[in-house]
Amino acid sequence: MLKIDNLVTRFGSVVAIDGVSMQAQESKITTVIGANGAGKSTLLRTISGLEHPSSGSITWKGQSILGKRPEDIVRLGIAHVPEGHAVISELSVEENISMGSLFRRRKFKSDITTAIDEMYALFPRLKERRKQLAGTLSGGERQMLAISRALVSRPQLLLLDEPSLGLAPLVVEQIIDSVNILCRSTGLSVLLVEQNANTALGVADHGVLLALGKVVADRPAAELKADAKLRAAYLGY
Amino acid sequence: MNTFLAALSLGTSRGAIFALVALGLVIVWRGAGIVNFAQMGQAMFSTYIASTLITNGYSYWLAFFVALLSGAALGALLDIFIMRPLSNKKQSELLSSESMRAAVPVIASLGILGALQALAGIIWAAEERGFPSPAKQEGFTVAGNVLPFTSFDVFVVSIVTVTLILTTLFFTKTGIGLAMRATALNQEVAKLSGIRTNRTRTISWAISGAASSLAGLLITPTSNLSPNTLDLVLIVGFTAAVVGGLDSPAGAVLGGFILGMVISFVTFYDTPEDVYLAILAVLLLVLIIRPRGILGSKDARRV
Amino acid sequence: MQFDAYNQAQLAVVLILFIGVLSITLLTGISGQLSLGQGALMAVGGYSTALLMINYKLSLWVAIPLSIISSAIAGLLLGVAAARLRGPYLAGTTLVIALAIPTIANRFMSVFKGDEGLQVDVGYPPQWFSSLFGEPTYEQWQLYVALPFAAVALFFASNILLSRTGRMWRSIRDHESAASLAGVNFARQKIYVFVISSTFAGLSGALYGLRGLVGPSVYPVSLSLLLLTAAVLGGIRSIAGAFIGTVIVVFLPDWIELILGNFELSEQVSNYLPALISSLLLILTVVINPAGVAGARLHKHK
Repeated sequence: MLKIDNLVTRFGSVVAIDGVSMQAQESKITTVIGANGAGKSTLLRTISGLEHPSSGSITWKGQSILGKRPEDIVRLGIAHVPEGHAVISELSVEENISMGSLFRRRKFKSDITTAIDEMYALFPRLKERRKQLAGTLSGGERQMLAISRALVSRPQLLLLDEPSLGLAPLVVEQIIDSVNILCRSTGLSVLLVEQNANTALGVADHGVLLALGKVVADRPAAELKADAKLRAAYLGY
Repeated sequence: MNTFLAALSLGTSRGAIFALVALGLVIVWRGAGIVNFAQMGQAMFSTYIASTLITNGYSYWLAFFVALLSGAALGALLDIFIMRPLSNKKQSELLSSESMRAAVPVIASLGILGALQALAGIIWAAEERGFPSPAKQEGFTVAGNVLPFTSFDVFVVSIVTVTLILTTLFFTKTGIGLAMRATALNQEVAKLSGIRTNRTRTISWAISGAASSLAGLLITPTSNLSPNTLDLVLIVGFTAAVVGGLDSPAGAVLGGFILGMVISFVTFYDTPEDVYLAILAVLLLVLIIRPRGILGSKDARRV
Repeated sequence: MQFDAYNQAQLAVVLILFIGVLSITLLTGISGQLSLGQGALMAVGGYSTALLMINYKLSLWVAIPLSIISSAIAGLLLGVAAARLRGPYLAGTTLVIALAIPTIANRFMSVFKGDEGLQVDVGYPPQWFSSLFGEPTYEQWQLYVALPFAAVALFFASNILLSRTGRMWRSIRDHESAASLAGVNFARQKIYVFVISSTFAGLSGALYGLRGLVGPSVYPVSLSLLLLTAAVLGGIRSIAGAFIGTVIVVFLPDWIELILGNFELSEQVSNYLPALISSLLLILTVVINPAGVAGARLHKHK
């Protein structure tokens, strides 16, 4: 589905991603874990087009998406929820969600209402607050909103960047559960970046461990979870 | 009493035009994140085009329509060929400093203003031209008294009101309006939502261009047309936008009318010489007391 | 190539405007504050000098240094008003100021003589000068008067640039948001920059007026824009850039005429062509090479 081959992304002289090769399998949850600064967020940002790699290739459904603009990559079916509650505080909940469906208005007019309703069904708290400004929402609600915005574009691959950041464990559990349900019921592929490796490995099918921009391990999640030596060395528990 | 009415009437019709100019500035600010100092240069240019058409025998309304179209086109061209390359440029060391990043588009818009004024001088010479008005310029007569309110004033106020209503509806109820607001507030999230941010910004510039052309067309009948006539309107429009709140269309309207009244009353009760100083006083007052503007949001000062 | 009276006058203008452009280099290039009102500050200098010379019969060598004080005061007022502003708010406000200040001349006609203005000039050289160097023409004397002031301005500007003050101003330009979050108060320094920059502008304005007339038509808004254009074209961050830029804007009309002199251009076109070309150059510079001529060179040396 998504194939990454020898990807290198630099920021000036700093090499954030140093020859990463991996895959995101169809209809599965693949998690990218690793310590802070391992290059996880940069990886997602490079896939979604916000950053430009210096070399390597990214193929999506057989086509290269290298160098494409973010807005075009969304149209190809990859939706990115960036780190830190990527919602626009000055717009309402409703407007934030609608944003994700704007580009589909011409072709899929009727489906848009359905898509939005599905989001409200998945996250009822958002429906209660639909007219409120996004800035007034709690951290957990904003994360739900960000995910809704991405899902409303009917992606086939969801890039989720550290959804647990700054959130209480219970809220994190809720959100990850919802994403899990979505994946299993609709066949959505998920690429989940998480610092909280335990939670991530709990729902994922496959795990990629990143350290200093390189892939250290690329195995089924259950195996990674069981590997105590690896966990101690790279994840600290 | 007559002076008061006259001042009120002038304040209203001028206020309507200033509201339009301020609105154009607010649209570009909200849509593209910069203050477009070239705006009245664009207006002047479109009005010259309209004037040329009228001189050559075409109807006022055709010229009106062409002026709006050319204003929109000019705005779009400026964004595509100047503003977009400008915002894409990342390499310069100069631009690593945040104040230079804010200053550079301002300087670019000043360059555009100068170029448009010089170009207008080359094409049409600096001769002052009259400009016709589609409605009568004499005051209404009621019960034997001539009111200082003309049918042209009514025309101006009604067009501006309609424009304002349409603009508000556009921004809040349409998809493009939402896209424009999203692009201005958070470009990255907008892109990730699939919004074509470059195209959206160009549309902001086009709409703002049309709005300023409209303002130029409405104000010119009462003054004359030359490459520099609209300089005063620009700074009044800017002040109006600041007074109302640079990110609030409603604020732009409010600011426009406030300034229209201030200028009108200063002109009638004091002396026209003090107008610029009065504008400056209002500007400084707002910046000191309520920098975000009357209706501006807390983030309005974000540069 | 002749170096006749016309060229001498032009060279004098280069030196005079160079001082004015330095005010922008300091204000915008070094401390990052964009002001469109330098022309108004030049007017303050010009009017102060003219009034001192006319009403108190002071010689220009006394009047000019004294008028620097009034320019500094004007800069102080401007700085207090502007220190809290940034970006387009600052630019717009200074633009309004640039348009508003000259109207004072019409408001208080008795003092400032409105549009007619005040007539002053550089006068005649002192006896000892003429005996030593021979009797200079008016244009030559203009040049000789401008030179020492330009030299002094250059001296002070380079000192400031290299000093600790210069470094602090640069940090305002580069890191204002970050630093203010850390609690550093830049307001006082910003006001100080305005004061210093205004003295340069005032000095330039005084000399500019001494070419023959001090009046609103001598200090229009386009003068402020001319200074800014010169600063940007030459390189807004360096003294060399200020000089290069001034040379460009002053000599541009002549260069254009030189190139296009063979073409039959209507008066209409030739009147506005220099303005069009310098505006286009400004746009091109800002889009392609914001650092200007001097900036590009610096980059190569790195």
